[in-house]
Amino acid sequence: MKIKLPIFLKIVFICFAVGILSGSSTFSADHLDPPGRTDPGVDASPDLASDIDDVFAWQTDKSVIIIVTFGGPAALTASAAFDRDVLYKINISSALPADTADTVITAQFGPGANANEWGVRVAGLPGVTGALEGSVDTDLVKDGVKVRAGMFDEPFFFDLVGFRETRSMGLIRFDRSRNFFAKANDTAIVIEIPKERFSTATTPLGIWAVTSRFGGQI
Amino acid sequence: MVGAASLAGCGGGGGSTTIATPTPVVPAAPTSFDSSNCFDQIIPGSGGNSLRTLIVPDTLKLDLARPPGFPNGRRLEDPVIDILLSFLFLDFKVTGQGPMTLANLPLNPPGNDIPFSSEFPYLASPQGNPMRAATTGTRFDFRSDPESAYVRIDRMGQPAIATTLIGSTRKTDYNDADPTADMAGTYTDEQVHTLDKLHVAIGDDLYALGLKLCSRNK
Repeated sequence: MKIKLPIFLKIVFICFAVGILSGSSTFSADHLDPPGRTDPGVDASPDLASDIDDVFAWQTDKSVIIIVTFGGPAALTASAAFDRDVLYKINISSALPADTADTVITAQFGPGANANEWGVRVAGLPGVTGALEGSVDTDLVKDGVKVRAGMFDEPFFFDLVGFRETRSMGLIRFDRSRNFFAKANDTAIVIEIPKERFSTATTPLGIWAVTSRFGGQI
Repeated sequence: MVGAASLAGCGGGGGSTTIATPTPVVPAAPTSFDSSNCFDQIIPGSGGNSLRTLIVPDTLKLDLARPPGFPNGRRLEDPVIDILLSFLFLDFKVTGQGPMTLANLPLNPPGNDIPFSSEFPYLASPQGNPMRAATTGTRFDFRSDPESAYVRIDRMGQPAIATTLIGSTRKTDYNDADPTADMAGTYTDEQVHTLDKLHVAIGDDLYALGLKLCSRNK
């Protein structure tokens, strides 16, 4: 259903103003940012495996769940963005100062002995002795922590098409039933940690992810 | 733009029927804004946070003592872009305006195109028919190089902060930096200046519609 009320038109202008004035080529959670390294429209050799798309973190009664997605939105025929040369770090601050990590979780991917086999190694997990290691697309469990790394549906939702059309046409084109990130996939690392592993936290958790590439940018 | 002023001017092309109604006085829209207040105002229901305390440092904050849901962490289903736009533009002291004002419309698609799972790994399975990795591997070839051999590509904490409030000339620098730089105020002026421009771009539209901006006239 097309949105017809003037208020929506105005809000659409908010959205494209955000995109225009920030100089970004797309409005997203973090997809294709920084453009000079990850956006095919800007960079001739975009580093998709290193392009963090989203960071999610929430809690249940028993667990803290952290998800980092990257390499999306990927076409439905595309393979997962496993890359041996990328180092993923999930930093967690649980005490002051809030800009310093008290827990650093690292993740790497590595090829297996046979074609198309990929594994993941996750280290630094709270309460886990050593690293958790195993095949991608498999639930891995060690010392109460669950990890699964692999290909998933792209979880972000936003009408980027309506945003672009409204910008170019000057007409109301925003459609809340249209999701640019629908029918696309993503690669992700999902980590579920027993909540009591953060019982010593003296501040709200502060979580951020970074990626780095071995040998420098491609 | 469709606003009260332009609508009042419609039909003024020489029609024979004249209705003697008073001409509404539309105050002149501000043309210059200081968005500092948008960063400093307390976000209702956020546990006393402001936009500033949420994004400086640029980490996703998760208070384990409070119910999860953006901006307290970020669940998969949270409409973070609509909520963030409220943070960026709306004056929360005005009755009827709050963090969910735009999300309740909604402005964007209100959810993902396929359901998330309530159980681990929470993300939906990939769509289409992508080439999947073989899960038969038991030994994998991971890099063991020191961190110094890697070069930073991307960082992310809060959704859409880097894409909306950091201009193109500073995106690479922002992604290379750590939260310590956020705390040091390295990007404070950049963020305020960018949001000032956003308010200039759409402030008149919001003003005409009766929405109250969190920015102040210069």
